[in-house]
Amino acid sequence: MAGKATPLPEAPSPGAGAPGPSLRALPSRNGSIRVTGLEHTYAAAGRVTKALEDIRLDIAPGRFVVIVGPSGCGKSSLLMMLAGLVAPTAGRIVCGGRALTAPDPDLVGVVFQEASLYPWLTAQENVEFPLSLRRVPRAERTQRARDKLALVGLAGFEDRYPHELSGGMKQRVSIARGLVQNPPVLLLDEPFAALDEQTRISMGDELLRIWEQTGKTVVFVTHSLTEAAYLADQIVVMSARPGRIVDRVEVDLPRPRTYAMMGTPRFAELRQRIWEQIRSQADG
Amino acid sequence: MSADASTRGAAATRRAGGWAVWLGALAVLFGTWQAALSLGLLSPMLLPPASAVLATAWDLVRRPDFLGDVGVTLAEVAVAFLVAVPLGIALGVAISESDYWSRVLRPIVFLVFSIPKTIFLPMFILAFGITFAQKVGFGVFSTVFIVLISTFSALESVKGDHVRVARAYGATRRQIALRVYLPSMAPVLLEAVRLAMIFNVTGILLAEMYAARAGLGQAVATWGQNYMLRELLAGILLIAAAAILFTEAVRWLEARCEHWRT
Repeated sequence: MAGKATPLPEAPSPGAGAPGPSLRALPSRNGSIRVTGLEHTYAAAGRVTKALEDIRLDIAPGRFVVIVGPSGCGKSSLLMMLAGLVAPTAGRIVCGGRALTAPDPDLVGVVFQEASLYPWLTAQENVEFPLSLRRVPRAERTQRARDKLALVGLAGFEDRYPHELSGGMKQRVSIARGLVQNPPVLLLDEPFAALDEQTRISMGDELLRIWEQTGKTVVFVTHSLTEAAYLADQIVVMSARPGRIVDRVEVDLPRPRTYAMMGTPRFAELRQRIWEQIRSQADG
Repeated sequence: MSADASTRGAAATRRAGGWAVWLGALAVLFGTWQAALSLGLLSPMLLPPASAVLATAWDLVRRPDFLGDVGVTLAEVAVAFLVAVPLGIALGVAISESDYWSRVLRPIVFLVFSIPKTIFLPMFILAFGITFAQKVGFGVFSTVFIVLISTFSALESVKGDHVRVARAYGATRRQIALRVYLPSMAPVLLEAVRLAMIFNVTGILLAEMYAARAGLGQAVATWGQNYMLRELLAGILLIAAAAILFTEAVRWLEARCEHWRT
């Protein structure tokens, strides 16, 4: 595992209250993610279901990690926990050197499935939304949202409402919204699942370009093996309920990735390996 | 940009079409009215000529006693509306906040909603006498259930994803209420406002027609009892026009947030 190589920066006892002179001002927030012994159980219809079991992750800053697994394996729940939206039943999430117990927009940006944009706000206002929650001054808000919309290739579409945008453009806006506070970590929950094949591939390329440009740590959940192999540095394969990590595959395809790589034997091999892992689990 | 212009152009055409339909409907109404009279289908004893009714309407709107009636009714309608709508929304939200009260009270709300409210009018007279409070109380009672039920469905129209996004970006409860719930619920609540006004005016006019010393309902009832058809029809035309104007104004607002529903 690459965990050893991750230099965890200073993280002085956070609750100490005494402002360590300069350390406090230093952005100790790199995009490392460390998950240990994570478990999730929930009660529904009188039955206790174990959704996630013994999840361990160690993600170095700047890596692109894709989580794949059959539907219902809890991969989206795992992502919601990384976003601080759902509390795990057991285990610990350390992000940027600090325990994560609640949503922390300085640290983590989230892109949700399909269109989670607010239909009553324009593209620009949707991207500004996280900033406006924290009362960032208007001029700064406008500028930062504009920059991020330009980054995702939507300059000139600031004043459009979501219903005036295509599916791919809406997810670009979502990505811009995820990046607007400049968090070191970007989480994406099946962001392209509702898009057609062509848009999906070009959105993958877009995401890789943005990732290379910004150096974020990306955790990307999908059920598409092709998408996983095309995008990832590392693929984390999960089993069906209870969701466990059954394999971690390092993707050694060179970057930048190209569409032609999908036809190479190595790509097929990777897909085959993941598929077998998933299938053997599904049979069990 | 040219796309915007053409959208605006299309909207203008639609608006012009809307006006044409309105004028057409009015022309058909008054046309059939005059035709029925001149063909002898209806006796002028039952249906005075439209011109006479319109002249009476014009007369009425300048008569102080009629304007006094209008003022009384408007005051009752406004107070009942301003009580019933916030009350219904607040109750609806409060009930939905708790799983337990949701399960207990929702079915009751739906049951009571299905009872015709008119049969309770005598109770209101017994409780409040023939007063302003009685009219307002009955107006509120007639209105509050439809607002409650609309609030339930407005709350259901809030998307889980939209709430989750706000939470992920650190929104407080208050911010979630004001920046996610309120705009999400707005289209359904506007519809509720429109329906509320219809229920409210119906209730108050009925209360006035049944027992009152002043107000439009009382005036209309008196004209009917005294066979003053011109005044009666003029009153009906004026009330109809006012009701339609209010409803259309709210519908115009609704149309403005139509794309929120997607």
